[in-house]
Amino acid sequence: MVIHLNQITKIYYSGEIAVPALKNISLVVEPGEFIAVMGSSGSGKTTLMNIIGCLDKPTSGQYFLEEKNVTNLNRNELAHIRNKKIGFIFQNFNLLPLATALENVELPLYYAATRSPDGRGDGNDLPHQSGVSSGRQKRQRANELLNRLGLGHRLNHRPTQLSGGEQQRVAIARALVNQPPLVLADEPTGNLDSKTSHEIMTLFKQLNQDGITIILITHEKDIADYAKRLIYLKDGQVVV
Amino acid sequence: MNLFLTFQIALRSLSRNKIRSGLTVLGIIIGIAAVIAVMAVGQGATVMIQSQISSLGENLLMVYPGSASTGGLHFGAGTNATLTASDGDAILKESHYVRALTPITRTGGQLVYKEKNWFSGIQGVAPDYPKIRNWKLEKGSFFADSDVKSANRICVIGATVAENLFEDENPVGKIIRIKNMPFRVIGVLEQKGSAAWGQDQDDVVVVPWTTVRRVLQNSAFNDVNQLLLNIDSTSQLESAKKEITEILRQRHHLAPVADNDFTINDMTELSKTVTETARLMTLLLAVIASISLLVGGIGIMNIMLVSVTERTREIGLRMAVGARGQDILLQFVVEAIVLSGIGGILGILIGSGTAELVARVYGWPVLVSAQSILLAFIFSTAVGVFFGFYPAWRASRLNPIEALRYE
Ligand SMILES: Nc1ncnc2c1ncn2[C@@H]1O[C@H](COP(=O)(O)OP(=O)(O)OP(=O)(O)O)[C@@H](O)[C@H]1O
Ligand SMILES: [Mg+2]
Repeated sequence: MVIHLNQITKIYYSGEIAVPALKNISLVVEPGEFIAVMGSSGSGKTTLMNIIGCLDKPTSGQYFLEEKNVTNLNRNELAHIRNKKIGFIFQNFNLLPLATALENVELPLYYAATRSPDGRGDGNDLPHQSGVSSGRQKRQRANELLNRLGLGHRLNHRPTQLSGGEQQRVAIARALVNQPPLVLADEPTGNLDSKTSHEIMTLFKQLNQDGITIILITHEKDIADYAKRLIYLKDGQVVV
Repeated sequence: MNLFLTFQIALRSLSRNKIRSGLTVLGIIIGIAAVIAVMAVGQGATVMIQSQISSLGENLLMVYPGSASTGGLHFGAGTNATLTASDGDAILKESHYVRALTPITRTGGQLVYKEKNWFSGIQGVAPDYPKIRNWKLEKGSFFADSDVKSANRICVIGATVAENLFEDENPVGKIIRIKNMPFRVIGVLEQKGSAAWGQDQDDVVVVPWTTVRRVLQNSAFNDVNQLLLNIDSTSQLESAKKEITEILRQRHHLAPVADNDFTINDMTELSKTVTETARLMTLLLAVIASISLLVGGIGIMNIMLVSVTERTREIGLRMAVGARGQDILLQFVVEAIVLSGIGGILGILIGSGTAELVARVYGWPVLVSAQSILLAFIFSTAVGVFFGFYPAWRASRLNPIEALRYE
């Protein structure tokens, strides 16, 4: 999955004041890369990640995902890309607090029912098209993934009943459940102790070896060392 | 995302906040139950009234003295001595449609048997009266023409009178005093229940119509309060009315320009009026009940708005993992529908139960029609859609980034 950012600029407006968060960023990410994004607080890392993750739109510039210009896509088309192509992992895990680990992991599957590539769903849930169909199959996929991440004994626990590392692994399972080619992680180890952080990073390394493109944000050098490539942001610009 | 899954998700999120969901549902339950119960009682009453009226005899015609244009009925009874028993005889003889006829004279009076007292309406009729009213005798027999001719002091009593004066004793052959005059009881009428207009039809004493005037009222007048007659079939109603009008006009020597000095009514008019009144009452009560349903609907809207705000992050997250605006919209609308639908079903059950209870305890007839159940269910679902849509729409318009950042 090739990511191609061309002259991306993002300007936030707080009242009359324009805050440029990203300035003319151009970047190419090849399939299978493992990138760490670093930079001081406020340098625009999260902003960049949100744009790559199709959660936000740039103020100007073009963003090509697999040769397709996603800058002009509508809300539904972006939702489709987020569902199928991108797995998101957040610093604060963002799990549904009242749902079990299994239910949290199943979540993206609910929105993965058959959709035409333009993002318009037809409401059907045909197995040969979606790959995942029946509730049982969904459950099984989520189940397997949690088992693989060592959470087989925590399936029906709620997030509050899990440790930080376990919660982040649930979030990783959720990001992987639709088998996206790209995984984005915004400070995935920010809330974890160093031992757990390294376990999580080992996991990312394995995923990358399986062929998944990974971009992650971190403030820590030893975390960034797991990546194959480092991008350093300063004041909304790439400096390395 | 398919509808089944959406329902599953909705049920799951609602069950995560059971007390709140329960209270919201309660609003709908009360509304729907009230509507169902009110409609059941109202429709039951309407059906009962209709069956009573038809049991009264659909082929009945009633002739009252006094003209309709001067308010016939209202000062007809007794004030205008324009209708006599010989009018009745003439109608019976000349009309092609009339099968049976009885004059009716009315008074009231104190009844005494041994130490028991009872006040009751007294009706003077002809021997055909039981046939015309389709009213059988429980005990004894009815009087004959000879009794009418000689204005005999005999009577047939209704079930209520029998119960109050005689209790377990057999009234037939006993002497009671009516207005202090001795009357022999020769029969007891079968119980008929209360009439559509609420009057107890069994609280009556029936005597020869001549006895009312000559004996009880000590009057020389020969007029009657009403002529009650039976025609062959309802299809002849209008022709019969026309013919009777002609006969009476001729007998009363009315000039062609003069108004009728009598009024002819039939049961269909009464039936229409009473049914219409019952229907209006039902409608009025149903409107009042619907207001509580409206309040329930506003409750749903309120809770859904709170829920959307509370779950802003959840919405943002769902969007981040691929939910489209319409998925979120559907999710919240379905949640509202599930709330109102559950409320609707429970409301229907509780409403029907209440109606059943009313039927048992008060002996009031109720009718829970399939139509009202369907209507209530559709209505409650519609309440969910209507009041759930706005909060759901607000949720679906959220920006994923801002929603995720919401504290
Ligand atoms: N919604 C917003 N409205 C206005 N300004 C914003 C908004 N989001 C971010 N910014 C600004 O954009 C700049 C970049 O923010 P961003 O969140 O991308 O930084 P970051 O590199 O992720 O920082 P951190 O390491 O603290 O997470 C900051 O100056 C920030 O104040
Ligand atoms: Mg950040």
